[in-house]
Amino acid sequence: MDLSTPSKATSRRKPKMVASPSPMSPATPSTVRRSLRLLETPTKVPSETPVKPTSTPKRKRAAPSPKTPIQPEPKRQRRQPKKRAYYLKVVYDGGEFAAGDDVYVKRREGAESDADESEEEMCRVCFRAGVAVMVECDVCLGGFHLRCVRPPLRRVPEGDWACPYCTAERAGKAIERPKPPEGKRIMRTAKEKLLSSDLWAARIESLWREPDGIFWAKVRWYIIPEETAAGRQPHNLRRELYRTNDLGVIEMETILRHCYVMSPNEFKDANDDGDDVFYCEYEYDINWHNFKRLADIDDEPETKEDPSDEPYNAGNEYNSDTDEDSEYDEEEEPTKCSSAGKNQAHELAANLWKGRIYGLQKIGIRKIPEHVRCHQKTELEKAKATLLLATLPKSLPCRDNEMEEISAFVKDAICNDQCLGRCLYIHGVPGTGKTMSVLAVMRRLRSELESGNLRPYCFIEINGLKLASPENIYKAIYEQLSGHRVGWKKALHFLTEHFSGGTKVGKQANKPIILLIDELDLLLTRNQSVLYNILDWPTRPNSNLVVIGIANTMDLPEKLLPRISSRMGIQRLCFGPYNYQQLQEIITSRLKGIAAFEEQAIEFASRKVAAMSGDARRALEICRRAAEFADYRIKQSGHTSVNRGKNVVCMGDIEAAIQEVFQAPHIQVMKNCPKFGKIILVAMVHELYKSGLGEVTIDKLAATVISWCHANRELLPGYDTLLKICCKLGESKIILCEEGTKHKLQKLQLNYPSDDVSFALKESPDLPWLSKYL
Amino acid sequence: MAAAASVASQAQALLRGRICDQGFVHSALRSSPDTNYSKLKYLVGSSVSEACNNSVLLLGPRGCGKAAVVEMVLDDLKKEHPDAISVIRLNGMLHSDDNCAMKEIARQLCLEHQLSFSKMASSDDNTEFMIDMLRECGLAHKTIIFVLEEFDLFAQGKQRLLYSLLDAMQSLTSQAIVIGVSCRLDADQLLEKRVRSRFSHRKLIFLPSSVDSLQRLMEHLLMLPKDSHLPTKYVMEYNARVTSIFSDKKFKGILNSLTDSDATTSHILRFLFRVVSYMDMDSGLLSMQSFMNALSSMQRQPKMDSLQDLSILELYILVCMHRLEDKEHSSYNFTTIMKEYKSVQDAYRTSDNYSHNICFRAFEHLLDRELISFADKKGKALEYRPVKLLISSQELAQSLKLNTICPAVLQKLLDRERYM
Repeated sequence: MDLSTPSKATSRRKPKMVASPSPMSPATPSTVRRSLRLLETPTKVPSETPVKPTSTPKRKRAAPSPKTPIQPEPKRQRRQPKKRAYYLKVVYDGGEFAAGDDVYVKRREGAESDADESEEEMCRVCFRAGVAVMVECDVCLGGFHLRCVRPPLRRVPEGDWACPYCTAERAGKAIERPKPPEGKRIMRTAKEKLLSSDLWAARIESLWREPDGIFWAKVRWYIIPEETAAGRQPHNLRRELYRTNDLGVIEMETILRHCYVMSPNEFKDANDDGDDVFYCEYEYDINWHNFKRLADIDDEPETKEDPSDEPYNAGNEYNSDTDEDSEYDEEEEPTKCSSAGKNQAHELAANLWKGRIYGLQKIGIRKIPEHVRCHQKTELEKAKATLLLATLPKSLPCRDNEMEEISAFVKDAICNDQCLGRCLYIHGVPGTGKTMSVLAVMRRLRSELESGNLRPYCFIEINGLKLASPENIYKAIYEQLSGHRVGWKKALHFLTEHFSGGTKVGKQANKPIILLIDELDLLLTRNQSVLYNILDWPTRPNSNLVVIGIANTMDLPEKLLPRISSRMGIQRLCFGPYNYQQLQEIITSRLKGIAAFEEQAIEFASRKVAAMSGDARRALEICRRAAEFADYRIKQSGHTSVNRGKNVVCMGDIEAAIQEVFQAPHIQVMKNCPKFGKIILVAMVHELYKSGLGEVTIDKLAATVISWCHANRELLPGYDTLLKICCKLGESKIILCEEGTKHKLQKLQLNYPSDDVSFALKESPDLPWLSKYL
Repeated sequence: MAAAASVASQAQALLRGRICDQGFVHSALRSSPDTNYSKLKYLVGSSVSEACNNSVLLLGPRGCGKAAVVEMVLDDLKKEHPDAISVIRLNGMLHSDDNCAMKEIARQLCLEHQLSFSKMASSDDNTEFMIDMLRECGLAHKTIIFVLEEFDLFAQGKQRLLYSLLDAMQSLTSQAIVIGVSCRLDADQLLEKRVRSRFSHRKLIFLPSSVDSLQRLMEHLLMLPKDSHLPTKYVMEYNARVTSIFSDKKFKGILNSLTDSDATTSHILRFLFRVVSYMDMDSGLLSMQSFMNALSSMQRQPKMDSLQDLSILELYILVCMHRLEDKEHSSYNFTTIMKEYKSVQDAYRTSDNYSHNICFRAFEHLLDRELISFADKKGKALEYRPVKLLISSQELAQSLKLNTICPAVLQKLLDRERYM
């Protein structure tokens, strides 16, 4: 779909040249752009028709395009009958631009006249560009030849480096920076212009050609920290940009050349990728002036609504996906209105399905908190972060066979030309990586799909415990297939029709569907009809449905009605609990490169967990807790900890964590009971041995307690006091008791073994006589 | 004189204000490093600043200051990280139903972020909204802290709420902390296995404090500050008096008998409130007597008290019931009691011979005071419904002994059969 543009042969721009000569300083550079947009956006076109609402916001946003302010009205009339061609990639002026690329955009029209500035940066000392290796100061972003720096550097230093001038300034010394030789202007690179807001940066969202032959691009603007409401914050990096939620439509004319805006991870690795590298971690909301971290997996609603994934077929008529885009339009409007403080009634409630996208933009934070950015993580904190359950490990050790089997099953099911319905049942105790393995397999398959080795399929994931009722699963499946919401009965009807070969639901009508149902046992209803329906669909001819069910119990199929178990129980996969070597491998693979744990400590934790449950989550949590203990210990002991060697997680921490997780606290609480509470507990043990019955009435118990107190010269408690204490013990479930209104007839029973009571109370310092009754 | 009284009432108001202010009561915790307060603060604070998810259970008997510590930690953290923390409070008593809890979460989230909220949203909508909010807040470096009081009540049924909360916390972008507060020590055992596997099992145990620390707490609360608006002379005198009381042996005895039954902080606070109320308003000073009065008012035995002011006839009925129980009548009703009463009257010919109707009214009165109760809830006319005695024989004997108007016959009736 590569399309060169012969019409614009006038190469006014050399590929490696930057445009504007001297920084023609606009009065207030930071506000110009925004105010321009704000001026333009509210102008509503009166003749706007609801037929094609998509076009309006775009044209409205087209206003900032500095080149030719387009009059919306005539343009639209011209466009409507003709075709708009969308492209994935456009070669324009010798540069190849594709959707998803980051580019510099010119700010003003007259800025391209002379092109005498090189992209190459000059050394700040000798003021020559040259081929020698240059190093960039992390403070002033100036470039320096390695040999020009005093003292000269041999190689590019690791980590942050500040030039001698900046370090001197930081130290408070006044130092004169070298002045350029006479007659030679300091030439600014595109980067510098961008950072002083003489250029814009943007990300191309889509490219198209209007019927009149002019190329247009829809772009998402980037913004420099100075232009945000919060201003430049002390922790902002020099090369930091924010992505905005502001889209603009510009002519390709104004696009200058590529730049590279990178996520933090990419930026870290991009040490010598040239000058046009920028850093972007946050999104900035221009309506609410707040920040939000960019999600790792970019599934923001905006990107979904972009028509970008469909109309790429060149020459396709731009069939505006009306309802989706109009939604986007509306979303813009009410937020603006409410920001003006009126029109609250129009806003849809945020917790309704329809209102979900409304207002969620509000949530961003006003200023990025400093501790997030500037905090240098210690080894222990890094370890804690990688041990989080939420952290997705790079590899899943110890589940290769199972994953192999799952992927074979899925591939087998889809690759057949005629996809036969199948069903796989996966079982295993919690925390053995069932869901994670399936999802990992699906991710791998998706990458295979993208490389074209696999038939397209459709993946639906449903969790049984998150459904309000079992029947809602029909609703959920139907919604994911078609995007519409209907009641579950209707959904069941549609789905049955879909799978039995009638009218198909959704766009991907003939693709095989892989349905993953987590916590399958929650779908059990009294007559088991939900499970029956779901497992019956795959057996229909032409159903194209593959069901993967996950649950804990191994014998779920056997517990079901025979007609269901015969449909489900054929193919099974068991995830056994991890043994200690596997747990150890999982933990060490996560902690790779972080020296925070003693080797034996990990082994101890994994052995302990393997003996108890083999739950990987539990093992990770124990290690994380141990790291927290160690961290707490170090922080409490003060920053002047003498022995650095102690700053790792040792056996003691693991043991404390294991105790916290596995040991019930009742013994500790019994030891700290009030005096009469202890006497009551011991009296209960006494009665238990005397009568052999678990239950005792308070009448009897009180008599025992009072006679003991009498014999041992304690204060005599009243009956009602004893009743109150019993109720309190019952509340914390040390004993089980009936409600207090039964008074004399209240029955009591120990909730823990009597040995625990004797162990806890054998040597209580305040009641030495108690042990003789045990 | 009037001036002294006004100073005294001012001091009283100040002391009462302190006792009711949880923040002041627990402020002593802030400084020391090894308390639950500093542990919880470290736990929550580090998860806020390091952007991770955590779940923690606070366990311990009622009245040990679990909720107060949570409040203090949240207040402190809100000051440290303004704008970055939103707190959702749920109580198991109110929101144990999953759907209603979800709705409440959505409502509080909307309120917190100034979004409009709809009551009509289905529970699926609310769940999705919560998950969306968790993600968005995580992206904006905001932490959502869920405080679930009476945590054990959330662990009923399918535990959908806990599951969806904890499962959402497994996703990378969310940033949430679940603080469960419960007085059931086995609260974490109540969780279903897949919920338990997702729970991160931090536990903090709250225990009743020792006698020493309680005394320190009392000093902390009862000593008047030197720099208050009260006259210095009065403050000096008052503090000297309090110190002398604290060093008294009698006071030790009072404290011990108080903590023998219940050593929790809230119990002590209730006691102190009474002490302050028994303050001598003329001098404005506390005395040993005010402590003694407070103690005796804390150790009331309500059943004994209500036995004291029963009429003779009612005592007769109780004694008759007791006799019937001693004769091993497993079940008896009003008519049986009346038969016994008649036989007693026939045997002793006392002046307390009342008609059937009057006896029935006395019987109903006893039912109202819950000294006796019906054995089963429904069925039959009142006269024939089986009843039971709710007070023990010792209590009855004791109260007869203390009762001055009680005829000697009654005592004899009770004693006779005890030793026969």
